[in-house]
Amino acid sequence: MDPNSSEKPPLSLRERLFKTWFPPAAAIGGMAMLVAAVFRQRPAARTVVAPPGGPAPAVPAPGAQAATAPAMASPLLQVARASSARPTAGPLARQYRLERVFGEAASAAAFHLSLNGVALDSSDRLHTLGDGEIRVFAPDGSVARRWKVAETAESLAVGPDGRVYVGGSGRVDVYSPRGDRIGGFAFGDKASPAAVSAVKIYRDEILVADASARIIRRFDAAGRQLGVIGDRGATKTFMLPNGKLDLDVDAAGVVRATDTGRHQVTAWQIDGTPVGRFGKFGMSDPADFVGCCNPVNLASTRDGMVVTGEKMVARVKVFTAAGVLMAVIGPEHFDPMCTQIHLAADAKGRVYAADPVRRRIQVFAPEAGGAR
Amino acid sequence: MDERSSRRQFIDRASRVLGFVTIGGAAGVLAKRASANSVYQVDPLRCTSCDLCRTSCVLSLSAVKAVNDFARCGYCQLCPAYMDVTSQPDATGIPTGRVCPQDALKRRVVGTVDKDDPNNNYYEYTVDETRCDGCGKCVKACLPPAGNGSLRLEIRYDRCVECNECAIQLACPDRAILRVEVPGLPPRSAGQAHE
Repeated sequence: MDPNSSEKPPLSLRERLFKTWFPPAAAIGGMAMLVAAVFRQRPAARTVVAPPGGPAPAVPAPGAQAATAPAMASPLLQVARASSARPTAGPLARQYRLERVFGEAASAAAFHLSLNGVALDSSDRLHTLGDGEIRVFAPDGSVARRWKVAETAESLAVGPDGRVYVGGSGRVDVYSPRGDRIGGFAFGDKASPAAVSAVKIYRDEILVADASARIIRRFDAAGRQLGVIGDRGATKTFMLPNGKLDLDVDAAGVVRATDTGRHQVTAWQIDGTPVGRFGKFGMSDPADFVGCCNPVNLASTRDGMVVTGEKMVARVKVFTAAGVLMAVIGPEHFDPMCTQIHLAADAKGRVYAADPVRRRIQVFAPEAGGAR
Repeated sequence: MDERSSRRQFIDRASRVLGFVTIGGAAGVLAKRASANSVYQVDPLRCTSCDLCRTSCVLSLSAVKAVNDFARCGYCQLCPAYMDVTSQPDATGIPTGRVCPQDALKRRVVGTVDKDDPNNNYYEYTVDETRCDGCGKCVKACLPPAGNGSLRLEIRYDRCVECNECAIQLACPDRAILRVEVPGLPPRSAGQAHE
């Protein structure tokens, strides 16, 4: 080779490999590694930051876990559902049929966000609490009146004079039949307001289910507390693992309340004297109450029956005042994820059952003929 | 010839620069990952308690444990996560079977104790992490509407050895294992659990 020649000597195979092909190959390989490193951090969109120095962080679980975890259904559900279909010792004395539905999803009266309560006035007009408002339904199923109430409202009652009572976080608000706010009162500790899970009216008294204190409070119209129900006898206040306390008053003035942790319906005189109780835990007999805490809801009919609503097996049952099972309205009518079914009963014995998951009110009428 | 040579030189130099930048970037990303204050954790909204946390973890006793959120717990006497409510009841009507195959869910009476009537008592449920294998049976049983949903699965950092690739994350069909940033957590190398 001429040393004075300006022409470069030809590259050897080794030089060609390392000088010409290695850099682009390294570049491509490096880019592939970079892309792989970035995309393996899945899912990039959800990263949770824990406070410094705090406990081991957990991905926060919003309260709506029940509604967002349908894929993980409780294995107990199937077993429990079977208890509804299981035969009782004898034929049930009553049968109910689905008569009509209020608030269907396709209707103009549909509930879009919530359905928190049902009540009937003295003329058996349906009142509902849902979507942050009170709705009064006309007999044809249309909404005759509606008005806004507090977003925290959880319970509803209608007095014999048509006044509407709405229970919320630590307070009760009173509305005229036309929807004008005409009064109300607050009670308990402002820092930790009471959970008012039910309100009922008996004569001139307002009965408030205080699920936080696990008792029923009696108030007069001005909001003065007259006494409490539920702290006497073996009860020592209600056991409420699920944080719900429901009550109703029958025509004779007997107050009935759910004692969910004990799986019982309790009965009281208005002065707080216990007069009876029925119910027990059981997974096989339909007359028993399943799961950790049932019955969740309760209503008294005008012929002295007690209607209960249950969760886990979302179903409604009708008992005599002594606790004899008369009828079962089965889980096929309700969403299995219901944690409660709001109840009311009209003068004809029809049961109004509000499903808060499907957000509709089903009306079940007793079949003519009674026993089968 | 000169022109051809300069083009080749340009491609050569550009490729080298690109190669160095890419390799440096990849090294930077990997180094950042290694030193990041983040750990693996279970997203309870995605988790279906499928039992793969128990079987997939590289540890013989999984680093995934059930934990109880006391704020949500109902302190039930008849806890569906503790008792197998479908099992044979005893003379008092209380089911005799247990949900946890490891007997890791423990309970004690809290508050005023009524020895005569267990219905009057509240029960606090805690998980014995030396026994819990992360199978999630209690978590499933506590789900609403049966329970309050207070139990959930969590990766415990004093047990997790922080594999470079979490075996549970690879196995999880629900993509429920996430990286969670923990400010203040000291960095550590793979295979070393947090103190």
